[in-house]
Amino acid sequence: MMPLVRAMQLADSGFPSGVFAFSWGLESALADGRVDRHSLPGWVLAELQGRWHGFDRLALAGGFRATGAALGDWFATIDRLMPVERLRGASVQAGEALFAAARALRIGLDPAAVAAERAGLGHFTVVHGHFLAVSGLDLAAALAVSALAMARGCFSAAVRLGAIGAIAMQRELAALAPRIAALAADLPAPGTLPAGFSPLSDIALMRPRDGRLFIN
Amino acid sequence: MTAARVGIGGPVGSGKTALIEAMLGELARQGIDTAVITNDLVTDEDAERLRRGGQLPPDRVRAVQAGACPHTVIREDPTLNMAAADRLEADYPGLDLILLESGGDNLASTFSPDLVDFWMFVIDVAGGDDIPRKKGPGIVQSNLLVINKVDLAPHVGVDFPKMLAEAQAVRGGAPVLATVCRRGEGVAEVVAHLRHEVLFK
Repeated sequence: MMPLVRAMQLADSGFPSGVFAFSWGLESALADGRVDRHSLPGWVLAELQGRWHGFDRLALAGGFRATGAALGDWFATIDRLMPVERLRGASVQAGEALFAAARALRIGLDPAAVAAERAGLGHFTVVHGHFLAVSGLDLAAALAVSALAMARGCFSAAVRLGAIGAIAMQRELAALAPRIAALAADLPAPGTLPAGFSPLSDIALMRPRDGRLFIN
Repeated sequence: MTAARVGIGGPVGSGKTALIEAMLGELARQGIDTAVITNDLVTDEDAERLRRGGQLPPDRVRAVQAGACPHTVIREDPTLNMAAADRLEADYPGLDLILLESGGDNLASTFSPDLVDFWMFVIDVAGGDDIPRKKGPGIVQSNLLVINKVDLAPHVGVDFPKMLAEAQAVRGGAPVLATVCRRGEGVAEVVAHLRHEVLFK
């Protein structure tokens, strides 16, 4: 039971990791009319399939599995594979928040991860995988935590942007749960390189916008 | 972590940025090595204003965006601000003080003890003399309550001595200081209070 309780703690939306301040393109997409209340679940599913399953899942698994120099190399690899500069910068910024949480919680991270952060390569998904590993989760649980966090993060941003209500959000999240579970159950082979495809949110991320509430 | 971290919160327009502007000159005169983190809700306006003021090198003023929730970034999940403060300390070894300005929020806004060593709450007389009586956590729990724009009291129908007495009463004797940040009045007392309570120098 203890691993389950630990996973629930680390998946809690109240766990401090800075993610509440990122919409990953959703804010611009809503403002531009590319997504609305009715198409929002589709947006979240597309993010899960195109961004999370194609890229984040593999980046996280590499951070979960690697140690030492291999972990440092994985941070650098993910940095090179980031297709969008705005995404790259936000990923590092989110990662720095998780590093700060780890320092404050006195959770010892691999020196190679700390060196990557100092070099400006501390991408969130990689350090998240490493953080979940040193916190005692197995890879399947770590992937489930990560996938659920992405879906909930999208919906939560939509709630704060007034696009959906908190009750409707839970209804939509429950409807997506089987898809989230299936995507998270797909454990990647070691060394598989990420290859995401989420053009709509990538473009939304790059759109300049005055009066932005979220970091991206 | 070596620099003292001091939060400055309060409602929109109460004078948080003006207080920081006024404090920076005083802190510099007293040789206190300082940096600032701002938490604007929508823009980097406060950070840009402080940079334009020229009292600190621009890179010593960092902006953190709050994801639509100004209280979240200083209380429920302060990690973005913690990361920014950690980065400032790494970039400027020997910093004495990091001031963290909250985005404008309501009277219930408080700072996480994980983020700051001390925090002050800024209100102003133009917001109404009933604010202290409303006893929000910002009014009651802050380490220091600053009442700004006291020179406006006669123009907005506020009995300032009564407002001050009520503020002191609801805080149970915890410190309350009056300022006119635009003219620098009372700012030396705020800095002296910080030196005594936080900086120990």
